[in-house]
Order: sequence, then structure tokens, then C-alpha cells
Amino acid sequence: MPCVAAVNAAAEADGIRVGDTLADARAKTGSLQVRAADPAADDAALKQLALWATRYTPAVAPWDETNGADGLFLDVAGASHLFGGEEELIADLAARLVRFGLPAQLAAAATAGAAWALARLRPATTLAAGEERAALAPLPIEALRLTAATRRTLRRLGFRRVGALIDKPRAPFAARFERELLMRMDQAFGRTPEPLAFILPPPVYHSLRYLMEPLVAREAIVAVVRRLMQDIVHTLTRDGVGARALRLALYGVDGGVKSIDVGVTRPTRSIPFVARLIELKLERMTETAAETTAEPLDAGFGFEAIGLAITAVERMEPGQAELIDGFDETGAPGWLDERCAELIDGLAQRLGPRCVRRLAPVASHLPERAERPVARNDRAPWPASDEARPRPLLMFARAEPAEVMAQVPEGPPRRFRWRGVLHGVAKAQGPERIATEWWRSGASAPTRDYYLVEDEAGRRFWLYREGLYARETVAPRWFVHGLFA
Amino acid sequence: MPPSPVTIPGRDRAAIVDELRGLLPRMESGAPPRALPFGLPALDAHLPQGGLTLGALHEVAPAAPGDVPAAFGFLVALLARHPLRPPVFGKDRAPTNKPVLFVASARALADHGRPYGHGFHRLGLDPARLILVETQTAKQALWAMEEAVRSAVPAAVGGAIEKLDLKTSQRLQLAAGDAGLPLFLLRPAHTQKTGAQEAGVQEAGVQEASAAATRWRIGAAEAARDRFGLVVRTRWHARLERCRNGRPGEWLVEFDHAAFRFSLAAALAGPALSRRPDAQPANLRRAG
Repeated sequence: MPCVAAVNAAAEADGIRVGDTLADARAKTGSLQVRAADPAADDAALKQLALWATRYTPAVAPWDETNGADGLFLDVAGASHLFGGEEELIADLAARLVRFGLPAQLAAAATAGAAWALARLRPATTLAAGEERAALAPLPIEALRLTAATRRTLRRLGFRRVGALIDKPRAPFAARFERELLMRMDQAFGRTPEPLAFILPPPVYHSLRYLMEPLVAREAIVAVVRRLMQDIVHTLTRDGVGARALRLALYGVDGGVKSIDVGVTRPTRSIPFVARLIELKLERMTETAAETTAEPLDAGFGFEAIGLAITAVERMEPGQAELIDGFDETGAPGWLDERCAELIDGLAQRLGPRCVRRLAPVASHLPERAERPVARNDRAPWPASDEARPRPLLMFARAEPAEVMAQVPEGPPRRFRWRGVLHGVAKAQGPERIATEWWRSGASAPTRDYYLVEDEAGRRFWLYREGLYARETVAPRWFVHGLFA
Repeated sequence: MPPSPVTIPGRDRAAIVDELRGLLPRMESGAPPRALPFGLPALDAHLPQGGLTLGALHEVAPAAPGDVPAAFGFLVALLARHPLRPPVFGKDRAPTNKPVLFVASARALADHGRPYGHGFHRLGLDPARLILVETQTAKQALWAMEEAVRSAVPAAVGGAIEKLDLKTSQRLQLAAGDAGLPLFLLRPAHTQKTGAQEAGVQEAGVQEASAAATRWRIGAAEAARDRFGLVVRTRWHARLERCRNGRPGEWLVEFDHAAFRFSLAAALAGPALSRRPDAQPANLRRAG
């Protein structure tokens, strides 16, 4: 039977309550508008609001099902002083929510349970630590975040107020009820810590600025980032760590939040470097969508607050930052690696992470498998080249078929046609026989005979014949695999 | 009132002009110019300061579309030459070995495969030094090259780019000059197109304008082999098409895969062989 899941103010005035059946509700008022409930959309909207609320504090937890799934916990410890106190913070939050058209009930308390109870039943209260007992005692037992079954049992036993439960001996309750009752009470009165599932893992290092006027320009955002990083650098230096990953959060006037993640290859505390990375990332995002696949940055009506969080840190030797200016390339070997990492990070931020790569050797006989791209700054030592086994400078991702005329089927090519052009072979060096790596894949591919072939114009090609004549195949196929300088 | 010639008392007009002329090269390149010699007196004599100017833009173009690998190889050999130090491969490599960047837009080298690390050894470039940057557009490639040059981190920067207008080349030239790094650009074969083919935008006979210090036209040539028929030295027909403050020229250049140095094959091949039948000597006069 369809039930009412939520009502607006007008319906509430007509006496419709959450939980009524739809038929009852229709009977109570003549002009009832009904929409199907969409919990997934509600959830998404709540998450969005939670992200927005990180402008007050990085520790924001949306309520889950047991909490009613219709609100947020904000851990404002250490953040409320920025607004001049908890009451001012609540006033600011309420004003902004009203502007979004969201009627909200707000309360602050020292425990999540108490705050939850007050927000539901005594909105707009601020409770000092230690007053939970007195404040919650007159409230009905609904204040305790209990399941409906537990609430029903308590009411049947005659408990109507929280105060009636507070000083009762624990043992009978523990025997009679699920763990839930005592746990919720302990949580509300601060006897048990309550772990909150934050929407973003709260960073250790975090800095946030509220702006007098909304910002739109990229340069202005970067200037703010510079100041934010300045705030964080001191703590980073004190703790002897550098940032490996950063998250920039841009809080839009319209309640939208853009977050930008930046990773670096080496821990850094450099303000200009971080500012530059953010600038490059923003540039990439504002570039026309046709050119890149990155999501565009839409400033909308502007950003009213900007936060910078260090999401991953790594130990960093003290004094390393000072070396950058003081030494030249001959003085400090680390200097070059550091600058190199900065260059690669910068390029990767602007062009995309997969666009910048190094090559690392792989111990494999198959030429196409003998190297692999590695990200970023890993330098792998390469084996010296073998003059008897020349390797091309350019290689095709897929070997391209060629028509070859050879004097004998197992001999070097005399002429070959590749991409529609006939090349006469002046000299051929080879063959270099490369067998398939049978231990790698079950199906065995044919053996290849590679030739370094020079045509009459002096151009050098790397051709191979697939399949040993008469042993593996009667009609070996030829491929051009690479080009020599 | 008719303008009167300005006279500076006590100084000769000719002396002032001479002095100003002496200042000119320094103003053009900013930093004290250094050069990267080939180690071949016959070739280096054509270049200002006896070598390729560091801190300048150098273009390398293939003689024909099929010569792109040859031109790329020549470019890699040049990239590897700076700094002038015999390359040491393996674990005992000097730790301060600077990286070398090669920037290419996805389309620039697409027809010719992708750079293969094991092949770089033969041209004297340790693949561990190499950083490859592949961009989606030519615009991004230009940006990446400029960024890399300005950072002064790499020893040298190479790039492959399809189109290059005068303004962009000036920008790159300026960046290279400021950083004192050589920037080698691989250009497509058709930069040599005459005015008739370029559809009236440019005047007849004018080459694509560029601020590059040199432009090399590279063609493949029959490699030098040892008595067993193995390739020991790669050869290129190298034509110095244009060279600021230098003279154009044409050589048959060899690169030794063991010693990693350039040599001239002129004595072996002879001047008649070193010029390809399709090469037009008229280009030599026009260049510069």
C-alpha cells in the first residue's frame, strides 16, 4: 500500500503525516499532489549538499539510514572559531540554506547523538559540553535514534521521556533490549565515541578561505591557492613532510562544489610549484572541450570559498627546499631529479597523465614486448645495445604486411612492396631468428626471421618473415616491423 | 624645417656604426652564445662559432616523405650529442645525466610508428634519459616544448610538428635563447614547397618563413658496412639549407654506432655520389 514518505509545509498544515497511507492522505485534503519518492535522487542531493558543507569543515558526514538519511553531521571542532563561534556558524549556515530554498533544522552539541536529537526536536539550540543530560531529559524517546520496534516496546513499558531512562540500572535494559538502546544513550551522552563516515576523508593539512566577492578568473583562483599553500607550508615544515597529493575545492555561489585533484611525483612544499600545477590543471579544464577529454570548469556565478587540502604526505628531508635556489646542477645531484620531477608533473597536469612517459626495458625476446612505457620519473637502467642485433628507431604498433619477392623461400628478400610502393633491396642483413615465447601464451605463434633491409634509395627497413618455410608453413608471410634511421 | 643630420661631437659616424654592429649578435641571442660542434672541421666551418648554436632553434626536415626515419635519426643523434660527453651505458652512468625530451603531437609521427627505446642506443642516446611527451594537438606540443625549454631541466629538447608559422618559431627561438638549450624540430618534407604550390598566400619562391638558426634537409644514404656486410655506420645526405650567420653546404655524414660520433664519408663516396640526382643545387643559393 503506498504511503506518504515526505510532505511539504502546506500538506502538513492539512494534517497529513509521514507514514499515512495514500488513501488516508487523499481523504484529508481535496487537492493533493503526489510524486513518487526517489530515494536515490535524495541520496545524491544529500551527498551534494555534504560536499558543499565541506566549506565549513572538511569533516562532513551525511546521515545514513539509521540516522534517517535526511541530514548532515558537521564536525566543527576547530572550525567554528573562524566564524566567531558555533552560534554564528549556525546562523551563517542557516542563512545560506534559506537562500538555496532548503528549510533546515540546525543544532550544535558536543556529541553527534545529542546534536541529532536537538536538530530534530529543539532546533536552533547550541549545547555546551556536559549539558546533554539536562537537555535531553525532557525530550521524548524519539530523540535517541532508535528503531521503531524498540520505540514501541519502550512506550508499551511506559517510558515516554529520555529522562526516565537515564538513571535506570543498565543490566535489565541490556537483557531486555538489543545493544542498540544502551549504545545510542552512551553515544548521546558522550560515554562512547561515535565514528562518523565522512564524505571525504578529512585531510590532516587543510586550509580554507572565504572570499568577499565571488571569484571567476583563473588567475585570481591561483593567487588564492598561493595564499592557502602559504598557510599550510608551516605545518608541513614542522612535521617534516611534503605533499604528494592535493585537493583543491572550489565552492560555487550556487552551492556546487568543484574539486580538483593533483598528484606529484616527489613530495613538495614549494608554493610556486603547487600554484603552477593548479594553474596548469585549470588551464586544461578551461580549454575547449573539443580538444581534450577533461571535464570543463564552469565557474557559473563564481566561487565564494576556496579550500586546499593535502590528501597524501610523505617524509621530506628538511632543508631540501632551500637547496633548489642555492645550488646549481653540478652542486647537488638531487637538484636535477627534483626539477625534472617538477617539469614532468607540470606537463602531466596540463596534457593528461598518460601523455608523459619514459621507457623501461623488459627482458623479452619479442621486440614489441621488450620495452614498456612507465609513468613519470622512474629511471630504469637500460642494457647496452647489441651490434649484431640491430633494433629500429621507429617501430609500428602493429607490423604492417608487405609483399616480398625472394629468390628462395627461406632467403632474404629481393624486392618488396609496402604501402603500395615497390622497393628494390640493395642489401639485406640477417636473418635474426626470434622464436615465440611459448611459456607466455598457450597458442604458439610462428617463428620470425628478421632482416635489416636497405633499399636502393638507402632507406633501411626491418622486415620479418613469419613462419619457418616447410616446417611451420608453406607460404610464409612478410611484415615491415620498424624503420631504421 | 628640414631635418638636419644628428652629429655627435668627437665621434666618427663610421666608428659608431661599427660599434653598433658589434652589439647586434649579442642582442639577437641574449646569453653568451655557445655552440655544439659536429667534430668535423669541414662541416663546422660552415656554422657560426664552429658548431650548432646552443640556445637556438634548429629544424631538421626529410628530403622526401620516405626519409622521415632518416631525419628523425639525425635529430636523435644531435639530441644525444649535448652535453658533449661520451655516453656511458649501464649502472655506472653519471647521476647528473640530464634528461632529453621529445615532444610529438599524436599525428606528427603516426605514419612512421612510435619511437622504440632499443633503437636509441645506436644513435648514442641512452633511452633512460629519454622522456617522451605525446600531445593530442599541435598547439599542446608547442606549449610542451616551450615549457620544457624554459624549465632548463633537459639537456636538449626535440619535437615533431606539422605546421610552424613565423611567430611561433620566433617564440620557440626566443625560449631556446633564454634557456641556452638547443631545440631540434622535425619538420615534414613539404616545407620546401615552392610558392606555386602554396596557393598564392606566399610569394613565389619564398620558403616557409622561420626564425630557426639552421635548417637541415636529410636524406637516407647507403650505410657503411664492415666486411661481413653488417651495418657499422649509418649515413645521411645532410644538406644545410639555411644557416643564420653561416654558409649552406652539403655533406654525406656518417654516424658511428660504436664510437657515437659523426664522420664524413666524402673521401669514400666522392663528391659525385654525395649529391643525389634529384637534389636541386639552386636551393643552396636561395637558402640562408
